[in-house]
Amino acid sequence: MNGRRILAIAGRILRQFRHDPRSVALILVVPVLVMALVGYLVGDSGKEPLPVAFVNQDAAPAGPISIGSILEGALERQTGVEMRDAPDAQEAERAVRDGETAGAIVVPADLTASLLAGEPAQIRVIVGGIEPGLDDRVVGAVRMAMIDVVAVAAERGATLPQVSVERMPLAGGVRLSTLDYFAPALVVVFGFLFTFMLTSVAFLRERSTGTLERLMASPASRLDLLLGYLLGFIGFAMVQALVILGYAVWVIGVHIAGPTWLVLLTLLILVVGVVNLGIALSFYARNELQVVQFIPLIFVPQIFLGGLFWPVQTLWPPLRLLSQVFPVTHAVVTLREVMVGGAAVAAVAERLLALLAFAVAMLLLGLLALRSQRA
Amino acid sequence: MALAIEASGLVRTFGPLRALDGLDLEVAEGELIGLVGPNGAGKTTFIRVLAGLLRPDAGIARVLGEPPGRAVSASIGYMTQSPALYEDLPVRDNLVFFGRLFGLSTADARSRAEELAELVSLEGKERSPVRTLSGGMRQRTNLACAMVHHPRLLLLDEPTVGVDPVLRMRLWDHFRFMNDEGITILITTHVMDEAERCGRVAFLSDGRTIASGPPAALRERAGAPTLEEAFLALRDSVQEP
Repeated sequence: MNGRRILAIAGRILRQFRHDPRSVALILVVPVLVMALVGYLVGDSGKEPLPVAFVNQDAAPAGPISIGSILEGALERQTGVEMRDAPDAQEAERAVRDGETAGAIVVPADLTASLLAGEPAQIRVIVGGIEPGLDDRVVGAVRMAMIDVVAVAAERGATLPQVSVERMPLAGGVRLSTLDYFAPALVVVFGFLFTFMLTSVAFLRERSTGTLERLMASPASRLDLLLGYLLGFIGFAMVQALVILGYAVWVIGVHIAGPTWLVLLTLLILVVGVVNLGIALSFYARNELQVVQFIPLIFVPQIFLGGLFWPVQTLWPPLRLLSQVFPVTHAVVTLREVMVGGAAVAAVAERLLALLAFAVAMLLLGLLALRSQRA
Repeated sequence: MALAIEASGLVRTFGPLRALDGLDLEVAEGELIGLVGPNGAGKTTFIRVLAGLLRPDAGIARVLGEPPGRAVSASIGYMTQSPALYEDLPVRDNLVFFGRLFGLSTADARSRAEELAELVSLEGKERSPVRTLSGGMRQRTNLACAMVHHPRLLLLDEPTVGVDPVLRMRLWDHFRFMNDEGITILITTHVMDEAERCGRVAFLSDGRTIASGPPAALRERAGAPTLEEAFLALRDSVQEP
């Protein structure tokens, strides 16, 4: 052991960091960014209320004890949801199906009557069934409101029997496991991560070994080059997607309710964008380490804000807007709707267009990055 | 005689650095011309302009009668200073890839790859990944890749740097052989005994051509026994006034 040598090595490492401000910035900025996001997402404050359709069919005579009205008041005091009156159950269900509201509560006509007669009753909460995080919030708000209802009724001199809150998912249902909800997200994240790493490193090598210079001095155009890269990596990424999907379906037993080709098409469009993103960003990296450093910057916001774990609908509006720029958001929602909800192409067309716009934008970015390589 | 390279008044700056500062040079088809000058004289910048990789800020460049770029690039072979190869691919796959990139059919590229492996004495190594090759073998593979599409003009940027004397002789044999076949070769070097082998030498200094002619003529003009001394003498005579 030799103290001077040890210090020399340690000193050199510190000096290298000084010449690599980007690494230092990442080491300091990324953890703070992650903590800020997690703190916000896990906490209860700063969340947008979810719109919920409310249909009060309670036939109780207007009086001090009308459970339907008490429930309405209790729900209005819940900050997580925002009540919207709906004329009837069909209209409420349609609002959920079209995504206008996150859920719908239908108060049955005999609610007050049966409760006062001492019979147990049921409140049905209709939810989308595609995003568990979203559904949990709506059902949770109704359960909290029910506790409030029991307390208010007791104050007015009525002791209510058990009231159960029933979750009624429009899609999915009880046969689906947590895995079914997360499989779409996993497929998207793997597809994005590995495609990005492979292309950006491959292109970085192309630049650092000088083969890019050789390609640029050849009759191949920039578009030839990008399309060639695209074709090569699409083949690779699609094989990967098939392996992941195959394993999920046949080994783990994940369900794909909608058409499988639509799942593959979604991944294909995503991959086109990611290949070009990888190429464009590789121009801002000098070595493989710097490519790896891009990963948290690109991934952390998309994983946290892309609707994988926390519903996009409850985000602070500027963050929600940001999440709509992320390809992962659209890809995850599309795959959930197709795999869990059994959606057909028309239902996810807007999302696919958003992914396509991302792909085109990245292709242009890739062309722009390559421009700097040739006169 | 047709000109393979025409450059007049080429200027290219990188920030405050004037890499090319009014460079003039004409090279006839079939010449083997050596570009000689110290580091930073503008040799690589000039070659990159001719290969269509850099646009000059001012001046005119023409290669094989056309402005540098994609249209003429199929007739040019460009060899970079350090081997620009796909390390994981075998020698043959590298050759076939560049052949197809420059417009050869797969069959033509394959037979050309075989022919070139023999020409640069890499027989038996065709199936070895480039990363397993020695530095000299890589350099020869690099040269073969520059020639795969039968270019009429070869731009060789310091092809013999870091190459042992035996291999250097072999590479020069290749250059001579190709030149005898009618290929115009522009080669940059700062090794003077290599410059002696060129039909004509152009001295470059600070982004300009300060003299050009057959090696013997340059030595005579400067009254110097070696090309090295001739370069120094001619450079001083340019700088004095």
